[in-house]
Amino acid sequence: MLDWIKNINKEYPDFWKDYLTKFETKPNRFVVLSTETSGLNPNKDVILSLGAFSVVDDGIIIKDNFEAVLLQYKFLQDNGLSNEFIIESKMLKMPEPDAIEALVNFIGNSILVGHHINFDIEMLNAALERLDCGRLKNEALDVDMMYRKLMDINDKQFSLDDLTEIFKIPKSDRNSSAEDAYKIALLFLKLKSRLGIK
Amino acid sequence: MNTIAEHIADFLKEYPPFDNLTFQELSDIATNIRVLNLEKHAVLFQNNDLLHDSFYVVASGIINLTTIADAEETIINKCHEGDIFGLRPFFAKNNYMMTAKAREESIIYAIPIAVFRPFVANNSDVLNFLLESFATNSRHTKDSVSSNGKMISDTSFYVDQQSEMQYIQSLNYNNSPLTTEANHIVKDVAILMTDSMVDNIIVCEKNRPIGIVTATDLASKIATGRYPITETIDKIMSSPVVTVIENVSLAEAQLLMLKYNVTHLCVTKDGTNKSAVKGIISEHDLIVAQASNPGVLIKEIKRSQLPKDLKQIRDRLSDLIQNSIQKNIPISHISNIVSEINLAIIKRAVELSILDLGSPPARFAWLSIGSQGRKEQLLLTDQDSILIFEDVAPEKYREVKDYFLRLAKRATSILEKVGYEFCPNGHMGSNMLWCKSLTDWTKQYNSWMNTPGENSNDLSSIFFDYEIVFGEPKIEEVIENVIFKNAVNNTLFFDFLGNDALKKNSPLSFFKKFIIEEEGPEKGKFDIKTRALMPLIDGARLLILNSNIKGIKNTYLRFKQLAITDSKNAEIYLSCAEAFLTLSKFRTVEGLKNDDSGQYINLREMSKTDKEKLKNALTPMKDLEELIKSKFQLTQFS
Repeated sequence: MLDWIKNINKEYPDFWKDYLTKFETKPNRFVVLSTETSGLNPNKDVILSLGAFSVVDDGIIIKDNFEAVLLQYKFLQDNGLSNEFIIESKMLKMPEPDAIEALVNFIGNSILVGHHINFDIEMLNAALERLDCGRLKNEALDVDMMYRKLMDINDKQFSLDDLTEIFKIPKSDRNSSAEDAYKIALLFLKLKSRLGIK
Repeated sequence: MNTIAEHIADFLKEYPPFDNLTFQELSDIATNIRVLNLEKHAVLFQNNDLLHDSFYVVASGIINLTTIADAEETIINKCHEGDIFGLRPFFAKNNYMMTAKAREESIIYAIPIAVFRPFVANNSDVLNFLLESFATNSRHTKDSVSSNGKMISDTSFYVDQQSEMQYIQSLNYNNSPLTTEANHIVKDVAILMTDSMVDNIIVCEKNRPIGIVTATDLASKIATGRYPITETIDKIMSSPVVTVIENVSLAEAQLLMLKYNVTHLCVTKDGTNKSAVKGIISEHDLIVAQASNPGVLIKEIKRSQLPKDLKQIRDRLSDLIQNSIQKNIPISHISNIVSEINLAIIKRAVELSILDLGSPPARFAWLSIGSQGRKEQLLLTDQDSILIFEDVAPEKYREVKDYFLRLAKRATSILEKVGYEFCPNGHMGSNMLWCKSLTDWTKQYNSWMNTPGENSNDLSSIFFDYEIVFGEPKIEEVIENVIFKNAVNNTLFFDFLGNDALKKNSPLSFFKKFIIEEEGPEKGKFDIKTRALMPLIDGARLLILNSNIKGIKNTYLRFKQLAITDSKNAEIYLSCAEAFLTLSKFRTVEGLKNDDSGQYINLREMSKTDKEKLKNALTPMKDLEELIKSKFQLTQFS
């Protein structure tokens, strides 16, 4: 509850100090974020991969992306899971601390966008806590919430698949965080113009 | 490693010109792409926008490329998935020449020019593709799309009024084509063609065409060595020949060539290949026919010396109008052509007068006002004009004014001989009142617009439709500026014009019956001019002056333009535009029938369906009236 008092004089890692100083200016881009996790419990589960794109001026900037597979050998071993997919993947692999640091540097002060983004942020906060950092300070937008706001629906949640179906975004056979992030980014562009968000 | 960039590269490699590049190159390009989403009807760039730093590929959806000319939107091309567009920044520095608008919700990739340019420079296939798609003009786009897959033109030009003549224009073509028979030797035929300096020959059997040999056939079948030059001609001819009847129109010939993808059409007696050969139409003939637009009439006008020559031409124009109306050519096209010709006649009349009187002592402008100023004159109506001359020293003023009055008198009397009656209200340059110096005219417009009503006898709204016919265009500009400057926030003036527009008598009675003339020589007839056309014309003028749009002088185009600017009420404007065309057509048909201006329509001679049509065309007027009332806060009694 009073965590922040405990942290008030705590020495943060350098990247986190950097991150905090970025909030002196206003955000000028959105970062669409998607995580793949081992489960739904922020305290017990871990992030397996990360995908993110930036959105500036109503366009997805393909170059400005972040993709990584996290090396969670310990977690996988403890839970008796296979790590084959990590070995086979061609993607950039990083240990969790490096990946989280790189991601924090990537997002900076941007407004985060995701599908049920609060869960992603909780997962990231849990990982950040392990690195002796504070919690993410970014503003966040949830495409599901945006859609419900647009349609004025309160009693129902929409999965990412539902939304891509509704907006006729082509499905891809491959499935990864980057793939999901791209889909969310397209959804975000569509919702953004409909809701008139600048 | 960028998964999405690879997906995009996967997508691109399916389509030209990207299929010429390696996957690695495409990944590099894809990495630099921006992905955009366009909602339905969103505009990506507009005519005359500054060039973007990217060109575009459609990832999903459809983008329409359009040009807007004379307030009419014309679709040049539709871009589907994989099509590229917006290539202008590669080749040109000036602004976009078209508008790209999403027809449905679309996702597009923006590829930065700077990133793509090196690939263009290093890969001639890519360069050629881009050049080709950039240079192809609209009329050939259709077949290049089908033959070449994906190619979108950027430079298409809008075929202007001038080509409208082609609907009615007949073709001049070669009436004595070379013919040969099936058993002749290729070499002899080629020699014959060379000697006669033509690039085609028709192969006949009993004077019926069975095939055609063109330079292309010789190039592709002989020069390539596929056939020896000692072969008989029937082995290499293209068969069957596309045949047409003798009096084919330019537009039709063009369509046939496109449809059959041929360069020559064989003219036969009955239009089939079972009758005698009469001639051959080549692509060249079409080009010549198009180049001679806007028509022989205008050329003749320029050469004519006497009023009676002009009169003859004007009479032929009436035939032309009648023909075009019978052929159901859109009335807006006809009136464009007709007003060009009218313009040429008036211009020539002024020229002839100058030739008689000697050159003018000062620069001047002869403006047509009223219907000719709006380019809506289809029939012989009265002439309305004003003359403005530049300011001269006070001591010379009398002399100069005297010259111009004489000039105007002469020109108007020539026009009267041609068949344009004098204006009954004396709105002509030959009238002392309407032949003035620029300063006097500026004062005149100022007083009309700032204190309307005080001398209301003078103010006729026709003075606000003007078109320069002869002389110094700068003078027209000055007057236009005076008008638009005075129009800004001039409630009084708009109030006046608004009431003027509304005071016209309504066309239909409370019981939706036509209100007809109750007395006078036209008793029992319907006055289409004052009851139906004038309210539309006045309304359009009022609204266009109010929205400060310069340069659009035609009622139809004014409504079209208003529909674009004031999109809230677009529906009303568009129905008014249509109604205006329908009503003009009724008037023209009536006028042609009786050889008059068509002002009064004899309802008894009309069929029931025509009457219904006429009635329907009158309905949008009510909406327009309401619109004007609310816009200018007018009530019936103000």
